[in-house]
Amino acid sequence: MDDTVEYTVMTRDVVKVYRMGDTEVRALDGVDVTIRTGEYISIMGPSGSGKTTLFNAIGGLMKPTSGNVFIDEIDVAQLDANELAWLRCRKIGYIFQSYNIVKVMTALENVTLPMLFGGVPPDEAQDRAVEILTRVGLGDRILHTPKELSGGQQQRVAIARAFANQPAIILADEPTANLDIHTGEEIIELMKEMNRERGVTVICSTHDHKMLDISDRIVWMRDGKVQKIANRADVDIEINTMKEKH
Amino acid sequence: MNSAIQPSADWEIGSLKLSMEVVCSMAVNSLRQRIGRAVLTLLTITTATAFMMYLLTMPRSTDPVDIQSWRLMMILSLVVSGAGVLNTMLMSVTQRYREIGTMKCLGALDSFILYSVLLEAAILGLVGAFAGAVAGLIISILLALADHGGEVFQAMEIANLPGKLVFVFLVGMALTTLGALFPAFIASKMPPMDAMRGEK
Ligand SMILES: Nc1ncnc2c1ncn2[C@@H]1O[C@H](COP(=O)(O)OP(=O)(O)OP(=O)(O)O)[C@@H](O)[C@H]1O
Ligand SMILES: [Mg+2]
Repeated sequence: MDDTVEYTVMTRDVVKVYRMGDTEVRALDGVDVTIRTGEYISIMGPSGSGKTTLFNAIGGLMKPTSGNVFIDEIDVAQLDANELAWLRCRKIGYIFQSYNIVKVMTALENVTLPMLFGGVPPDEAQDRAVEILTRVGLGDRILHTPKELSGGQQQRVAIARAFANQPAIILADEPTANLDIHTGEEIIELMKEMNRERGVTVICSTHDHKMLDISDRIVWMRDGKVQKIANRADVDIEINTMKEKH
Repeated sequence: MNSAIQPSADWEIGSLKLSMEVVCSMAVNSLRQRIGRAVLTLLTITTATAFMMYLLTMPRSTDPVDIQSWRLMMILSLVVSGAGVLNTMLMSVTQRYREIGTMKCLGALDSFILYSVLLEAAILGLVGAFAGAVAGLIISILLALADHGGEVFQAMEIANLPGKLVFVFLVGMALTTLGALFPAFIASKMPPMDAMRGEK
């Protein structure tokens, strides 16, 4: 293990087919990606290219039609229900594109949830939740319910919730799509900081070219396939050509 | 400040333990957060149970034809109120598939989902069925009083009254929890993303 690079996420020929009546959508069409521990990966691709579906597959939130997902060399398909719950609870922090925060609960209760599932005593969970919410700039909104929060604020609740159990992997699906530039940069900075200082692996989908600057590698997806994978260093030229096109 | 956000040390696949304390607090919170919905559900359970209790204790004529139609009424009422309670519980759980899916994404155990939904239903069932059994008896007494004056209890079917109370209470309670059990079980077993889309 020591003389090779350590991988934390590996997908092998992952296919996800959605069937609706007679039509089939191949949301993922044979995806192979390998992500190193401590890496910051950006996933780019047009709408409908399968980014969210790939996240769901990596995170053990749905079963691929075929293919395998390995987390730390363990095949996710081999895990039983309890181990899967552990994986979702402790190992991975999800930031969903559509937030998915529980509507009837306050920001505080939402952030506390994964900690309670993970066995953190309620008092401690609460203290920690307040701390993280303050960190993402919602210290004065902890008792608000989602309908009393703006889209960007809900996004930040989702981000705080993803950090709650100190996961090893952050799966962030367009985490800054609904944030103003300033808050967006703060959130990216926060993820980068966790990545740099604590070795958290960050996998982040985005349409934002600014995000590429801080990634180690960039994965481009198209029509459910990985189109190409590039190292940060090789991307500058491409960013420039992309900027020219826009 | 940053201490709140740091990875824990061991990456071995672990396991989670179900905390009954968290189940209880979640069930109670959930009722509180949706108090309007809870009151409506209670109303359904109470009315259905009260109706059953009333039918069991109301004054009855000894005419065999009447007894025949009473039986039919009793059966129909059981079916109608039973289906009403089942449907109410079914709806209230299915409406929460998205929330259940979200909780599963965050690491809720299947058993956590199942128990917290069941406990919530059981609380509603306990209160609703109890209130219904008592209310049904009172209605029965009041109506008999209006019809028969002082001879209420001679007129009413009070044989084995405690047994009837318990029976009606248990039926109300069972219908409530059974109505929640089925959708809760299905949802707890679903992959989180399917639950979030409300797929069966
Ligand atoms: N539940 C579903 N049922 C049927 N088709 C689906 C479902 N979820 C996704 N798809 C299809 O799979 C494809 C990939 O969707 P996905 O959500 O992964 O794209 P995406 O890259 O995340 O797009 P966006 O940038 O808009 O979020 C799309 O064509 C979509 O229509
Ligand atoms: Mg998406």
